[in-house]
Amino acid sequence: MNLDWLDAFLVYGLFSVLMVIGLALLLHLQLGLARIANFGIVGFWGLGMYAFGVLFVRVDWPFGEVWAFLISMAFGTLVAGLAGLAVGWVIADLDTDGVLVGTLGFATCVWIVATTEQDLTGGALGMGGLGFPYDIGSVKANETLWLAILAIVVALILYYVSRVHKSSYGRLLISIGDNEPLARSLGKRSFRTKLLLFAGTSAAMGFLGAIFGVMERFLDTGNLGIDITLAAMVALVVGGTTRTWGAVVGAALTVAIFDILFQSYIPFPQSWYGQAIPNIREMTFGAALILVLMFRPNGMLGEMRRDKLMRRMHGS
Amino acid sequence: MDIISDSIVVGLTEQAPLILAAMGFALLYRLTGLINVAYSETITLGAYMAMWINTTFDLNFYTILIPTGILAGLISVATYFAVFRPAKLRHVGGLEMIIISFGLSVFLRHGLQFVFGYPVRFFDVPAPHTIFVLGVGVSSFRLVAVISVFVLALGLFWFIQKTSYGLQIRALASDEGLAQVSGIRPLAVTVLIWFLAGVAGGLAGAFYGVGSAAAPLLGWRQFLFILLVVLVGGAKNIGGVIIVGAITAVSLTFMTLQFGQALYSQLVLIVVFIVILKVRGTRAAEAGKV
Amino acid sequence: MAADTSDTASTAEPTGGSAGSRPNVHIQDATKSFGGRVVVDIDDLILGTHPIEGLIGPNGAGKTTLMRMITHAISLDKGTVTLSAHDNDGPVVLSNLPTSSMAQHGVAKTNQVITDFEQLTILDSMLLSIAKGPDERAYKIYREQGLYADHIDEIQWYLDQFDFEDPYGFAGSAGEKKLLDIIRCLLLRPRVLLLDEPTAGLPDHVRDQLMELIKQKTAEENMAVVIVEHDLHVIWTMCDYVHFMAEGSVVLQGEPAYIRDHETVIEQYLGSGHV
Repeated sequence: MNLDWLDAFLVYGLFSVLMVIGLALLLHLQLGLARIANFGIVGFWGLGMYAFGVLFVRVDWPFGEVWAFLISMAFGTLVAGLAGLAVGWVIADLDTDGVLVGTLGFATCVWIVATTEQDLTGGALGMGGLGFPYDIGSVKANETLWLAILAIVVALILYYVSRVHKSSYGRLLISIGDNEPLARSLGKRSFRTKLLLFAGTSAAMGFLGAIFGVMERFLDTGNLGIDITLAAMVALVVGGTTRTWGAVVGAALTVAIFDILFQSYIPFPQSWYGQAIPNIREMTFGAALILVLMFRPNGMLGEMRRDKLMRRMHGS
Repeated sequence: MDIISDSIVVGLTEQAPLILAAMGFALLYRLTGLINVAYSETITLGAYMAMWINTTFDLNFYTILIPTGILAGLISVATYFAVFRPAKLRHVGGLEMIIISFGLSVFLRHGLQFVFGYPVRFFDVPAPHTIFVLGVGVSSFRLVAVISVFVLALGLFWFIQKTSYGLQIRALASDEGLAQVSGIRPLAVTVLIWFLAGVAGGLAGAFYGVGSAAAPLLGWRQFLFILLVVLVGGAKNIGGVIIVGAITAVSLTFMTLQFGQALYSQLVLIVVFIVILKVRGTRAAEAGKV
Repeated sequence: MAADTSDTASTAEPTGGSAGSRPNVHIQDATKSFGGRVVVDIDDLILGTHPIEGLIGPNGAGKTTLMRMITHAISLDKGTVTLSAHDNDGPVVLSNLPTSSMAQHGVAKTNQVITDFEQLTILDSMLLSIAKGPDERAYKIYREQGLYADHIDEIQWYLDQFDFEDPYGFAGSAGEKKLLDIIRCLLLRPRVLLLDEPTAGLPDHVRDQLMELIKQKTAEENMAVVIVEHDLHVIWTMCDYVHFMAEGSVVLQGEPAYIRDHETVIEQYLGSGHV
């Protein structure tokens, strides 16, 4: 197979777009269906990344690299899930203001711990020693395989989300997001449902964080800023918060333009790439949130359309 | 030196801008119901504005506070007209409004880097005088910040409680429809609220900035604490915000002196405040079930 | 104020199912105040000794608040609400349970004001009502078709009774939403059904159809119904027994005919112009 067209920039661009799609899909379950506004995505993602990295690098593993790798991955996912359980317990019965404080506060706590516990995390200086659990030749080959693995993970998340829409579970989430008191009066345990949803999606975010850490090979607290939360939120909002494919369409219209199109295909002057383009990227994302929510609140794909879905699934 | 008196003096003088910013944020939150994430950029812009006026016109720090406050107030009003008012007229929901303000915050944070450049910018001011309070040396800039908090708090209190505009603000906050019927001009009053909040935020930014430098993340770094202080202090009255703000300031400093690490004290404070909000929020949910 | 037993008509004999086996709700020593004003103050009240009971009274008498206290949608200042379903469960203290447990114990309440899920279609609403916890687990992503197949007959039965414009679509008119709200509750197969102004906003023929259906369901299934209603025609024709509430307490109980002609009721509620 000829992969000459796939240079390092493109691999990295595709990787970051897929990463954002994965996170935005998980945010879709939280925000789009259950209406939990998670402003602390980076906290769960970063926690998974660091929990994985610290366990993998700092422990003197007595057995093979691959097993150590897999156990560390599972650990990162588990820790993020437990954090999701704790934060979910805090926010599941609070109003939007409380959810904002709880999730933002959690993300800040993760940043603080990653910064202060230098012995474990390397703090602001960062921590190396991560790598792929395989070696199939060149750096490019290894990275491309890792990109393919991420693509499979994201595809599985997408499949799960599309099944959720077609399942009784999805209906439960929508009912709670739509009118929680009414759902409760019909016997739906909204607190428990939101709590478990938040824990599960947080674990998945942690898993994606660990995957990201492997690709980076080097963890530093610069990754724990608001950027990834913003990117996931913009992708979802632009595409359509309530739609299965919203995250994919939104990421294609936002992150892909900056991280693939501008990086690999448009010949901007070299000096722009350092600060100007990243700066314009964030500015555009901010503006996109404002404009889309004001003029097309359901995003590019529009509203949910359960009527079409019901007719397709149960129509005669 | 006594750690308690140290904490009080250092805490209150160092964190006076936090209290100032929280007051402005609370005003907006209480009277318009909006959690304005972009308020952090009002603070950042206050710092940049003060720095720019200071270095361009070669004015001393005390003089630049006045134009900085006014400019920040005007920018705050401008964001209201450019974003929040149109959004409200379009009946954007509460959750979406927070996301919009988040978007505006990001937009302004990165936009100002085009105007003021990427590196952090420093004020051009002579080193402040050191004044001893309870045996602790305090910079004169910080004392001015403390004084500003008092002046602004008293001013706001007087304004809201004693003047006819204040009466209108209170009426508008409790029932917009009724206020409109009784001949209050909601627009003028709302603009006034945004202006005052902007002044408070801008001045806070100037005080933060002169203590270190004008940097893009200056306001955003403070946002979580402002939010916590306002939500815990209760947005109902400015007094609660000042008290919780003062407690925050003193305990942050106390813990920092104890742990030798400012971030740990922030960590403790975030956790404690969120637990308070959880306990209170659960109770509120219990009382307000539909 | 306690229910005055001397005013209680003793002639009422429950019909349809024996009195001992009918599920009932026992409210004891229950109060609720808002901002210092006592809205509900019930000493001792049993709802459900008759198949269909009415709860009437002037505006602000506390009828809706009482209903919401029963489902624990608002907390009680003091007192208890106990469900006796006369089955294996034994009595259940509802006032110790969250609202979300009511359906499981067979207590359902319809809403006075129009309440609907904006994002869910009519069919969605019905399936949501029917689905139980085990159907709605996060990992059961293929459960929907089975659920639909198991319950389509029941759903179809309701769809046949009433003329929804498009069952696959969203409830359009206020009437459809109101009706859907009630059907959602019926699909829970409640043992105690609280209807809060069920006829408000319904066209006359739908109202009559619905009331017929409620009667039928009450007779077929061992269900107790309590109706809060301002349309007194409904109360007089539907109910086997009526509670009259004023200022937070039940002041009078009896058969519809007895209540209808009682001077307290006429004075306080019906007015002299009453027909």
